[in-house]
Amino acid sequence: MKEEGTNNEITRRKFLTNALRASAGIAVGGLAVYVAGNSNTKDLVWQLDPAKCIQCGQCVTNCVVTPSAVKCVHVFDMCGYCDLCGGYFRADAKELTTAAENQLCPTGAIERKFVEDPFFEYTITEDLCIGCGKCVAGCGAFGNGSLQLQVRHDLCKNCNQCNIALTCPADAFERVPVDSVSIFKGFSDIEFVNKS
Amino acid sequence: MIIDRNEKYIIIISFIVGCTFLGYWILHDPVKDFKASLPGMDNRPDSISDDIENVAIGETFIKLAEDYNPESTFDWPGFRGSSRDNISFENTPLIDNFHDDKPEIIWKVDLGEGHAAPAIFNGKVYLLDYIEEEKADALRCFSLETGTELWQRKYNVHIKRNHGMSRTIPAVNENYVVTIGPKGHVMCTNPDNGELYWGIDLIKDYKTEIPFWYTGQCPLIENDIAIIAPGGTSLIIAVDCKTGNILWKTPNPDNWGMSHSSVMPMTLDNKKMYIYAAIGGICGISAEGNDAGKILWKITDFAPNVVAPSPLILDEGKIFMTAGYGAGSILFKVETNGDEYKTSVLQMYKPKKGIASEQQTPILFNGHIFTILPKDAGSNRNQFVCCNVDNCEEILWTSGKTNRYGLGPYMIADNKFYILKDDGNLSIAEASTDGFKLLSKTKILNGHDAWGPLAIADGKLLMRDSKQMVCVDIRKN
Repeated sequence: MKEEGTNNEITRRKFLTNALRASAGIAVGGLAVYVAGNSNTKDLVWQLDPAKCIQCGQCVTNCVVTPSAVKCVHVFDMCGYCDLCGGYFRADAKELTTAAENQLCPTGAIERKFVEDPFFEYTITEDLCIGCGKCVAGCGAFGNGSLQLQVRHDLCKNCNQCNIALTCPADAFERVPVDSVSIFKGFSDIEFVNKS
Repeated sequence: MIIDRNEKYIIIISFIVGCTFLGYWILHDPVKDFKASLPGMDNRPDSISDDIENVAIGETFIKLAEDYNPESTFDWPGFRGSSRDNISFENTPLIDNFHDDKPEIIWKVDLGEGHAAPAIFNGKVYLLDYIEEEKADALRCFSLETGTELWQRKYNVHIKRNHGMSRTIPAVNENYVVTIGPKGHVMCTNPDNGELYWGIDLIKDYKTEIPFWYTGQCPLIENDIAIIAPGGTSLIIAVDCKTGNILWKTPNPDNWGMSHSSVMPMTLDNKKMYIYAAIGGICGISAEGNDAGKILWKITDFAPNVVAPSPLILDEGKIFMTAGYGAGSILFKVETNGDEYKTSVLQMYKPKKGIASEQQTPILFNGHIFTILPKDAGSNRNQFVCCNVDNCEEILWTSGKTNRYGLGPYMIADNKFYILKDDGNLSIAEASTDGFKLLSKTKILNGHDAWGPLAIADGKLLMRDSKQMVCVDIRKN
């Protein structure tokens, strides 16, 4: 009986062993929390808020990727399918034809197709788009604002510090969760299709 | 010999390298993947305006209520009221504050999608609606007092939705109502019983090219003569309202097109003329005398692709014209020397450099011009602004960042501005040249695109959004 009672007492050795075990547990737990926190950070990506964007044109040159990972996205649900499209035609265009001199886009990245009188569909060719935002400004000024700039994440390097965000005068870049990467203005639930 | 041999090798190698580069330069086309952007790549059909419909203008009449003889004092007989200046001259005291209550909506009526606005005459409201279910332009006549629909005179025509379908305002006098439909169908009827007098198909008869967003031109009646601007084969025509006969027509030598703008009357040195801003330029056409219908002068310095506002006639032969979509504005002067007319541009600028408008026609009041700036006017966009009539490039004041009105209409009544934001909020501001003095504002309409011009008579203000028209009692108790 005396022996059993002696075994239940906490000895110095036993105390140190328990303390070491507890310290190891805390360290492992802390490491797990740190790893989890770190992985959350990796799940955030850079995105551009079109409501703040002023189409200054800096996305063209300030992205580390060439051409820029910022592209024009067409929110078809908002489009009026106009013949006279402010995002496609220069303001001083004399004819509404696909001739280069009438187009606003410097790289000819917007494809215009007749649908039915009087509607035309406009599709962005992303390979050609440089993210200058000229069409976005034109569409916003004269139309429904269905052309909007977005960071395309198949192109974006997701730099720790986005170089465009550093210089964006409108502070339009922000980190967003990877599972909801798009920010559109005007519609909360929209579909878009860009030609790639 | 060794040196010679080395030289020989160098020459041979240089020759081979040179030939290689030359061959590469000749065979490699660095722009072979480039695709030229040429007209026609959008598959646009040669003639986009499909087959011309055979429209029996005014073929159907429906009487919906018994005639009545309302007691009314004032009228708003067409586009911009009696004087085409958008200023009500009636002396009915009107509210200057909504307090906590919305003004009383006396009646409201559902309309086809669009921006067509009403005219008021002898206590009746006339509106050229497009009834989508019936695919018909319909001249609808309502009682101003109750909103009861009295009759409809209509005809079938196929209109597709294109930022709304209806756009124009009838012109009414004691004897006639003249309307222009979205596809250029002019109709003249009796204002009391809706009896059809005549119709003109502008596309068929004058080869009119209908503008992008359908006809926006509001007809003008003067001395029982309807003034219409078809473009096409005749720039302007004068039609006898009684018979439908063409009294005179103006040739269109420069092939100018129909715009969304309306014809405005002007008198210069006792010479009456009609001013029209077409697609191609602005012109003054003799309105009377032996030379009625003659082009007296024209100006092509300001010729945007799209023109919605109408010319604003100022004093001393000056005319202010503005347009949206990046066009800006022009202030020019017409001067006479006997039978000779000459024009001179006083100011011409882009929308960020002065006052401009995309859709509504500005108001001239107390030597100042008032307008809502277009979306492309920079930081002042969509604000209500004022300038002195002599300097349209200097904006004297704006309504501020918190008071933007989109493409909404505005008018002056009882010495106050009534400004409808295109989301349905109605503001009252003091009609002052000193600054924007907002008196009150409240939400009236719940729809969107409230672009149709306002109309007022006997203190009853008519306004609409894209699908509904309401009559609001704004009389001061």
